[in-house]
Order: sequence, then structure tokens, then C-alpha cells
Amino acid sequence: MKWVEDILQTVEMLQSEHLDVRAVSLGIDLFDCADRDVDRACRLAKEKILTKAASLVRVCETVSKRYGIPIVNKRVAVSPVSDVMAGHDYAGLVKFAHTLDEAAAEIGIDFIGGYSALVHKGMTVSDRRLIETLPEVLSETSRLCASVNAASTKSGINVDALLLLGDVWVEAARRTADSDGFACCKLAVFANMPEDNPFMAGAYKGIGEPDVVVNIGVSGPGVVKRAIERLLQSGRKCDLGTVAEEIKSTAFRVTRSGELIGREVAKALGAEFGIVDLSLAPTPEVGDSVGEIFEAMGIARVGAPGTTAAVAMLNDAVKKGGAFASSSVGGLSGAFIPLSEDACLARAAEAGHLSLEKLEAMTSVCSVGLDMIALPGDTSPETLTAIAMDELAIGVVNNKTTSVRLIPVPNKKAGERAVFGGLFGECPILPVPNGGSDDFVRKAGRIPAPLISLNN
Amino acid sequence: MKTYIITVMAQDRVGIVRDVSRALASLGGNITHISQTVMRGYFTLILSVEVPKDRTLLEIRQAIERAGAVGEFEVNVRPFVEPQASEPRSVERFTLSLRGADRSGLIATATEYLADNNINIEDVYAYVHDGKALILAQVSVPADVDVEELQAGLQEALKDFDVAAHLQHENIFKATSEVQPVIGLEGMR
Repeated sequence: MKWVEDILQTVEMLQSEHLDVRAVSLGIDLFDCADRDVDRACRLAKEKILTKAASLVRVCETVSKRYGIPIVNKRVAVSPVSDVMAGHDYAGLVKFAHTLDEAAAEIGIDFIGGYSALVHKGMTVSDRRLIETLPEVLSETSRLCASVNAASTKSGINVDALLLLGDVWVEAARRTADSDGFACCKLAVFANMPEDNPFMAGAYKGIGEPDVVVNIGVSGPGVVKRAIERLLQSGRKCDLGTVAEEIKSTAFRVTRSGELIGREVAKALGAEFGIVDLSLAPTPEVGDSVGEIFEAMGIARVGAPGTTAAVAMLNDAVKKGGAFASSSVGGLSGAFIPLSEDACLARAAEAGHLSLEKLEAMTSVCSVGLDMIALPGDTSPETLTAIAMDELAIGVVNNKTTSVRLIPVPNKKAGERAVFGGLFGECPILPVPNGGSDDFVRKAGRIPAPLISLNN
Repeated sequence: MKTYIITVMAQDRVGIVRDVSRALASLGGNITHISQTVMRGYFTLILSVEVPKDRTLLEIRQAIERAGAVGEFEVNVRPFVEPQASEPRSVERFTLSLRGADRSGLIATATEYLADNNINIEDVYAYVHDGKALILAQVSVPADVDVEELQAGLQEALKDFDVAAHLQHENIFKATSEVQPVIGLEGMR
């Protein structure tokens, strides 16, 4: 019976293949909380967050039970703090950061994002101050996530900002040395940062977004992997086109479940529904890995020649299925390859099959970039800046989003293990050639926008 | 014309619907509704047919029985009676799925819980293979029922059985299986 087959397929996805909604992110505009008086700005922001997101966790639990889909993370993303808090000093920004963290704790959410600055073409005084506060803020708060948009196709790459961030990575890691530099896990640096990204650490409430908006990040690497395995075990003759079709129809189902949850949550909260982010987001759990998808496709050692093509095919098929499933697709919408958060990728790196250079190549055909990469603790700020410049250049020139989440792990060397815990996972520390590009990086300034930016 | 509801049960083979409908046509009957299913090689058919008033119930049954081999068709014919109009219920449709070790009393316990909570089963499918049971039921849950309490009660009712029980709103299955947009689903606007 058709209805039985349809139901069984969905039941399998939900109960055996780890389909979940990875993130419900409630975007809240805070510009109406801006005030010259720091205490008043903090009070207004906290009041608004507590009011708008008071029932976020309860609503997510109710909707989750109604449909039988786990919602892993509940988050809030606020307007970029460097703009909301323009004119405030270092102490004011730190106070605002703690206020956001407290508000997140009070409403029981996992993370709050938006401690952000958009500096792709240049920095305001406030942007620069916010970047300077990052080591202190990220090491002293638990739920706050920060992001910086340091490059865009329209404006090029702000190397001045990336030089500041080079120091931020080192200092933030130093302050959290006992947790392998965990503070850096909560900082993402972007090219072409989306305004409606529901995933942390890069979620913030874009300026062009509604006052209160629900954005959804679906998951489903396990579902895609099982779909490919079933197809290959079915005995049918399967070329890569057939595999791509299977991924596409699976992505349709995954996207649909995300949109349903997103619309229900938005309705219950009285918020607008924004987007579904199609990104396949892995967790360290076995069976919930993007790397395992490549293995199912026939790449025995992730990182071997052919891996980049597999990523490209996966990413494209996911987008095609998702685009047909919903007219509200946005955010990052690609396949994530965060090294520490994907046990299969971490294993491949440990075995020496997956290098920093191969990961960089893979990010040229997917999102989100060099994500959750543990590096030796003695990596210089200039080298960290140079790695970010390389990755953001891929985004700028290809008119797509890329980002870096780099963790220079204090007191550890290449080949040792970095352990971040929970969904952040663990991975080997990748070797990176230190120096060699310092003179280039220190020239500073801005790499101009590429020719493709002139498309009007 | 008079309306009858007819059921026919037999071992499945090619041509049963043809034989039954031909027999009814020979009596001047006109079939208006039909539903059939095959389970483990057994065929069941339920249909609604309008037959000229001068045809008796016995004539109809015999005409169908004679359309098959001797003793092949088990036929039941009864005059159609319009169901009494009941109070329209505001309901939401959910799907109950039970999967796990098969044991006597599993379906009885689950369906007793549904009936106790005024939940109507609209369609049900059950299958046992290698000692593992799968039961899927499409059910109507009164709109004023607290679904979370219902789900908790279901777990409690089935706690002595080694099964995973889930009660999920039908929209999740429609969203993932049908091409209509999510905003077109019941209750989404």
C-alpha cells in the first residue's frame, strides 16, 4: 500500500537514521534597544529577548513531540552587536555580551549569536572594538557566539580585519588553554556571510530581516547515507547519476520536514517564518556523518582523489532536492565538513588521508569552509590570517559563502588530539607550515573586489 | 433501485472483480463504490451497488457465488442503511506506528487505549515477520485532546510490550511524501 510505504520511509528516517532539526534559530532585531546609556541598552535588549523568546524552548518541545522529530538546538540570533552598540567603549561591549549570555541562560537556549561585526569593506570604531573584545568575551561567556564578515564578492577581503583576528584567535585560545582553546569554537569568520543563517557560530539577525523570524537548520547526513546504501544494496545498476537522484529525493524529504517544523514554531511564537537551511550538518555520533556519505558513495578513504568531486555532487544534489521542496531555502545550504564535529572526517585526518589542503579544496565546492580545524598552538597570528585569506578568497571569487573556524590549540603540536566535547567533538591537530607568507599578510589593507563583482 | 453493501472474500486470482461486477450487471445492478485489498494471497472486496427493487438479497448473493467456482467466494450482502448523522467532530489526523517484538495482545492493548480515548482508527495495517511486528494506523484524534498526554499514556499502556510506539501528526508524512507545498497542508495557514 502506497501510504504504508510512504509512512515507513519517513518513520525510518526519523527513528533509525538520525533525521533531526539541528537548529531552530529565532532572529530578534535589537536596533530598537540601542541607547547611549549602556545599562539601559542592556536592560532593553534583555527584556526584548526574554519577551520574544520566552516560550521558544517549550514551543520547540511541543512541536517536536507532535511530529516525532527531535530538535537538537534552540538558538537566538540578534542584530550585529557592533552596530546596535555603536559608540560604546570596550567595557560597554563586554557588558552587553554578558547580558546576551545571561538572557540565553534564562530562556534555556543552547546558544545566542550576533556578537558580530560586518567589516568586509572597512571597520568602524565600534567594529574594531568588538573584535578587540572577542578573546575576553568568548572566554568568559558560555552561550555567546561571535562572527565577523571580513570579505565579500562585492568588496573584496579586509586583510586589516583578518590581521586583528589573527591575534584574536591566538589570545582567545590562550585564555581557554585548559579546554584546548574552546573559545575559538564560538567564532566564525566569513566571506559573503548570509543574513539568515541558523547555524552557529555564524548566526546573526540580518539587517534586511523581519523583526522576529524563525530560521531552521535541518540535518540528515545519516538519512542520505542510508538512502545511498539502500540504493546500492537493491541490486539495481547504479551509476553516479542514479546516486545523485537518490540524494536529491532524500534532500526533498529532509527539507520538507524542516519547513514543517519551522512554520509550526513560527506560528506558535507569532514570528515570521524565514528559511530552511539545507546544509547537511554532521555530529560526532556514528551514523550522523557527512564523511560516511562519501564512504557510502565508494570513497574508501575520505580525502583520497575523487573526494572533491563527491562533495560537489552531494552538494548539488542536496540543493536541487531542497530547492524543489521549498521556496524558502536560504542560509548556507551546502554540506558541512567540520573536522572535529564529524568523527569520520576526524578519523580520516588522523590516518593522514585528509589534509588541510584537501579540506580547502573540498570547501571550494561546498559550504561552509575550513570549519572546526585544530591547528598547532604555535601557529602564528599571521599564518592564521593567511589561512583565513585563502579560504575567504575561495568565497569571494566564486561568489559563495565560505568561513573559517580555526582553533590554535595551546601547548599542543600537530598530530596530537584536540578535544572540545559534546557536538563540537574532537580531532587531530593538523600540521600547517608556519610563516612563509608573513610579508604578504603584513602588507595589510584590502584585496580589491574581483571582476565578477561588476555584474550590474 | 435499492442500494446494497456487498463483501466478497476469496483466494486471490485474476478476474475476481470482473466476475463479481459481471454478475451484478446481469441483474441490472450499477456499482457506485468499490474498494479491494489483497493480504497474504487473500482477496477482499467491499462495494456499494444499486440494484432494481424486484431483485432479492438472495438472488444477488447467489449470482455472485455462481460467478466463481463452487465454494470459491464467501459473499455477504446487506441492504444499505444511511449511517446516523453524528455530531461533527473536530479532529486532527495522526499516524500511530508500533514496531517491535510480536506478542499476543499487542494490537488489543493498543487499540483499547485508542478507543478509551475516543480515537477512531480510519485505516490500519499490520505485518509480522520473523517475530517482529509492524503496525501502522491512521487515526482521528479529537482536537481538544492534549497530544503530549496522549503520547505519554500510550507509552504507559504499552510498557509491558517490547515495542517502539509513536503517535505523529499526519502532516509530517504528507510533507515528506507529497509534492504539495507545506503551506498547503491542513492547519498551516
